Amino acid sequence: MTNAPVRVLIVDDEKDFVEMFSLRLQETGETVYTAGSGRECLDVLGEENIDVVVLDVKMPGMDGLETLKEIKKRNPLVEVILLTGHGTIETAVLGMKLGAYDYLLKPAEPIEISKKLKDARRRKQEQEARIREAEQKTLPSGSFAL
Amino acid sequence: MRILDANRLLLVDDEADFRAALKRRLEKRGFAVLEAGDGNQCRWIFEGRADEDPVDVVILDVKMPGESGIEVLGWLKANHPRIEVILLTGHASTADGVEGIKKGAFDYLTKPVEFQHLVQKVNQAIEKHNNLKFKEKIEKQMASAQRLASLGTLSAGIAHEIDNPLATMKEAAAYLRLLLDKSSPLDMPRKKDFENAVGKIETAIERARRITHQLLGFVKKKEGTKVRTDLKEIVAETAVFAEKEARNRGIRIVQATEGAEGVIWSDPYEIRQVLLNLLTNAIHAVGRDGVITLSLKDAGPSVELSVEDTGEGIPEENIKTILEPFFTTKSPDMGTGLGLYVTAGIIDRLCGKMDIFSQVGKGSCFRITLPRKRKAVCDSLEP
Repeated sequence: MTNAPVRVLIVDDEKDFVEMFSLRLQETGETVYTAGSGRECLDVLGEENIDVVVLDVKMPGMDGLETLKEIKKRNPLVEVILLTGHGTIETAVLGMKLGAYDYLLKPAEPIEISKKLKDARRRKQEQEARIREAEQKTLPSGSFAL
Repeated sequence: MRILDANRLLLVDDEADFRAALKRRLEKRGFAVLEAGDGNQCRWIFEGRADEDPVDVVILDVKMPGESGIEVLGWLKANHPRIEVILLTGHASTADGVEGIKKGAFDYLTKPVEFQHLVQKVNQAIEKHNNLKFKEKIEKQMASAQRLASLGTLSAGIAHEIDNPLATMKEAAAYLRLLLDKSSPLDMPRKKDFENAVGKIETAIERARRITHQLLGFVKKKEGTKVRTDLKEIVAETAVFAEKEARNRGIRIVQATEGAEGVIWSDPYEIRQVLLNLLTNAIHAVGRDGVITLSLKDAGPSVELSVEDTGEGIPEENIKTILEPFFTTKSPDMGTGLGLYVTAGIIDRLCGKMDIFSQVGKGSCFRITLPRKRKAVCDSLEP
């Protein structure tokens, strides 16, 4: 299961970065969605099944941390990796306390990004597996399972 | 240059006897007195002293044969505006005095001069002169500090802005790599050329990233937090920073940090500032062709960080002076830093101390001793 494509949502207002990042990830076999703002990100999350969101901390309008809080409210199991510049490392660490999986400093090594994506996705899968197990234990022997 | 020692006067009067008598009485009062008999002799005193005024107050006779006092006043105010001038006028010539004040004289006294009066005026003029000088120095320091602060902020801002395009370039280069790896020389006949160029792009991006990373290392973030500081790393980074400048001058920077335990609890940003300041000073002391050694040494509960140079050295009597607040041997627009006074202040805040060893003609050594452990309050007994 670990080699299945990761369903990634890239959220960043830098269009060129989003384009190159998206193309590169697709070339390595991931399934990529993109959003240019926090609002767009939440729209996409509402429509698609996303594993990991790669979220830029510094965006105009709804910024990274606000978006993160909303994501965790609506889709708590979705993992978020924060992308930050040097001046906003403290914000990224705060984001981790708010539930982000980890952060990466721009410009990040592409190999490192891909590794973190896979690790984040693995954590999501493990949690989903635990949930399924728990669900099965709550079912009385027999029916009621939908 | 000590501001408080500056009680130097120049007497300009064509009457030699008058000058001599006045000079004697002023010297008895503790003033240092030079004399000149006319405008030319007055100018001669200022010859060759472009950067520093030889006197602080000029007592100037208005009625002189040849060039008048007012004309000399004009020259003084045009070329040495910071010097205060007290005019001595003839007793019927208050008009001269008033004209003089309009032209920038501090005040005027009519001859025959009451000596006590003159001394009072001279002291007032000196006070004004010192205040202005002090104000000027403070303003220069503030401007320098502001420049550095804004430079720091500017660097941080620029470095941060550069992160984004670098990130785009990195992803784009990685993408090209993937495409190249997947294509064979058949469908891409110039594959090798593409690979070569992409490799250069990747290397250059990495270099740019390191530069911005370094730049941001020199911008202080939070006040006073002590973190794990690797002095060996800081020495290496600072040496790299100054490398180009040193190489251009034929100066070799040697790092002698092996064997010492370089990790301490301190403020890496402050230490970088201090080390860069000392290293820059060392480079200027050496001038051309020399060696600067950056070394670390264990010293029990402390560590010694030294910057040693083979420069011109500092005369014994100046060693105390160089730590004074406004001391600098550099011209005001060189803006290389806030001076040793501020450096010493930073070291003080880090609970460290700085020792200076120097020999004229051989070189100098600035040794900073820093405690290894965190200190909430600096003990005065510990080094």
